[in-house]
Amino acid sequence: MASHGVARASGPRTEEQRELDLDKIDRYRTLENQVRQKATDQSFGEETFQLTSKLLRINPEYYTVWNVRRRCLISGLLSGPLPGSSPSKALPSSSATDTPTTSSDASLASSLTRTQQPHDSQTIGHNGTTPEPWAGDLDTIKSELAFTIPLLMEFPKCYWIWQYRLWVLDQAVERLPVSASRRIWEEELGLVSKMLHRDTRNFHAWGYRRHVVTKLESSTLNGSSMTEPEFAYTTSKINADLSNFSAWHSRSQLIPRLLNERKADQAARKDFLERELNLVREGLNVGPEDQSLWFYHQYLIANILETPGYQTIAPDLTDEERKSYVESEIVEIKDLLEDYEDIKWIYEALLEYTLALDKLTKATPSSQHDLSSWLGKLRTLDPMRAGRWSDMEKQWSQA
Amino acid sequence: MSPTGQLSGLPILAIDSHVRYIQSLDTKKDELDYWLTEHLRLNGVYWGLTALHLLGRPDALPRQETIDFVLSCQHDNGGFGAAPGHDAHMLSTVSAVQILAMVDGFDDLETKGKGKQQVGTYIANLQNRDTGTFSGDEWGEEDTRFLYGALNALSLLGLLSLADVDKAVSYVVSCTNHDGGYGVRPGAESHSGQIFTCVAALAIAQRLDLVDKEKLGRWLSERQVPCGGLNGRPEKKEDVCYSWWVLSSLKIIDLVHWIDREALIRFILSCQDEESGGISDRPNDRVDVWHTCFGVAGLSLLGYPNMETVDPVYCMPKPVIERILG
Repeated sequence: MASHGVARASGPRTEEQRELDLDKIDRYRTLENQVRQKATDQSFGEETFQLTSKLLRINPEYYTVWNVRRRCLISGLLSGPLPGSSPSKALPSSSATDTPTTSSDASLASSLTRTQQPHDSQTIGHNGTTPEPWAGDLDTIKSELAFTIPLLMEFPKCYWIWQYRLWVLDQAVERLPVSASRRIWEEELGLVSKMLHRDTRNFHAWGYRRHVVTKLESSTLNGSSMTEPEFAYTTSKINADLSNFSAWHSRSQLIPRLLNERKADQAARKDFLERELNLVREGLNVGPEDQSLWFYHQYLIANILETPGYQTIAPDLTDEERKSYVESEIVEIKDLLEDYEDIKWIYEALLEYTLALDKLTKATPSSQHDLSSWLGKLRTLDPMRAGRWSDMEKQWSQA
Repeated sequence: MSPTGQLSGLPILAIDSHVRYIQSLDTKKDELDYWLTEHLRLNGVYWGLTALHLLGRPDALPRQETIDFVLSCQHDNGGFGAAPGHDAHMLSTVSAVQILAMVDGFDDLETKGKGKQQVGTYIANLQNRDTGTFSGDEWGEEDTRFLYGALNALSLLGLLSLADVDKAVSYVVSCTNHDGGYGVRPGAESHSGQIFTCVAALAIAQRLDLVDKEKLGRWLSERQVPCGGLNGRPEKKEDVCYSWWVLSSLKIIDLVHWIDREALIRFILSCQDEESGGISDRPNDRVDVWHTCFGVAGLSLLGYPNMETVDPVYCMPKPVIERILG
């Protein structure tokens, strides 16, 4: 219903195309009616489960059908005991979970599951013959995760698929021993890295990554902090593409924790700040029109100036140090003008930072001449935001 | 602008074509897409009806049929599914309330449906009482979209007191980013759609004092790209639906003049199909009712002539909001 990037059709369908569509509609609605009838009858067995597989492959946006699938799983297909509870309840699940792999629909799922042999072997009991009581649930969970992979590849922005996958992962936490559940969650990082490799800005995938990392860090999964590797991940994404605003954002989110966990003292914090300034400035030297970089630069400057809520990198700078950092950034930005005269972001930064510096030092306002000339440049280079530049002028003439 | 809507050679909004396009949507049962999008049916009625109201044709869909359809989607728990036979969900429930508000159908909800109170209870029960946010349904997905939807619908029903509004407000604040924007959840990157949901939620809660308007305004104004359209995040392509998310947010914080109004009007009009009606994401792409609604709403917010005024917080006709909220 919300189509993006699909070209407008050049004319009406031919009668042949219409017939073809009618045939597709007929098959789709037959399948849909079958699933609905099953749901109305509260019949959540394997037959219904297989029907949801078929339907969701055609239409993964059909949230009600994902719900039917969940109901199938919790009312029988996933009936194994929680860790520590009576193993007798495990029996029904072992037969039920055989079914997905017998269907041709699930052949891809089963083949993907089979590639995870080392983990499958974990489900065999210590004597090598009797499966662990939760083995069936583990297989089902893996099969469900495999089911959603091709759908995610085809529909990477579909909320319902991502959400269903998280629900399945939560089933792992509830139904498997911690070690087995943890391995399942760890594999998610591989998937999400793959998704972010295909589309570096997919915000579903970035959000999913944060969720998975938080879970892996939690005591539920015997976890510990992953701030360092996650920070390194943002570095690698930024090195691959300086314009990756998502990666810069994620980096800014990780920094406070990173420095706390490193138990960074004031010297280490200043050193860190300088490295970040260098990193973003190196980017600006080659891509001064890139707003991702400027937003990150603004974030660093806000940190230096101790804008309320931003004292996270180096909270104990003296006013003299703050002044000196901002002054040196202004000098560096002025240097950009030698190579790039027509980038509005440079003039905006010069204006913003100079005004902020005046405020910090409570000094006599900087040269009105400079401010006026930068503002003039902004008006010329960026007439779309003329109203903003007028408001800016009013602000500083009132100050 | 002249009364005909021409502003120094701007193309004209093809009102009649758009009205016909929206009216035709329910006649496309021989197209597979009609069936594949049934999970959005109630939302679709809201998008279509909103556009029709803003185009000045509020009666272009049959009122009683609309009410009957909406009520046929309601479950015993008060929530609405996207269509009969679909599970109840926050998104379709909010659309149902918005549609009933537009057609003045709350009385029918009492007499033929499960009643306002039941709808309000369904929505309020989806609030996470620890964090203040809302989930979409019983399966637990949480997103600031649902929080906004909940406050939107509850306030229209006059039942905002059923939710813990203060907690919801704190949750929105915890989604604030250093660039002034807001994300889906705390820590998530700023995204214009989520910014709208967060800022509009704060507006309903009357807590706009918590927004860093200058910083947010800067980030939002940078969404306008040279063609005049708006994107949703830095370094992304323009898209008509962001004419709504970005513009309404700017309107709520009183900074619409920070972007180029005429360039945006031109961009939206360049995405309309003048003959067959409807608006698409970008010029010459396939039209749909979602982009039609948000393109039309954007034009209304920009003061395009001869249109009904849109309320920036509710994305509904202003007279409807005034009638209900007083």
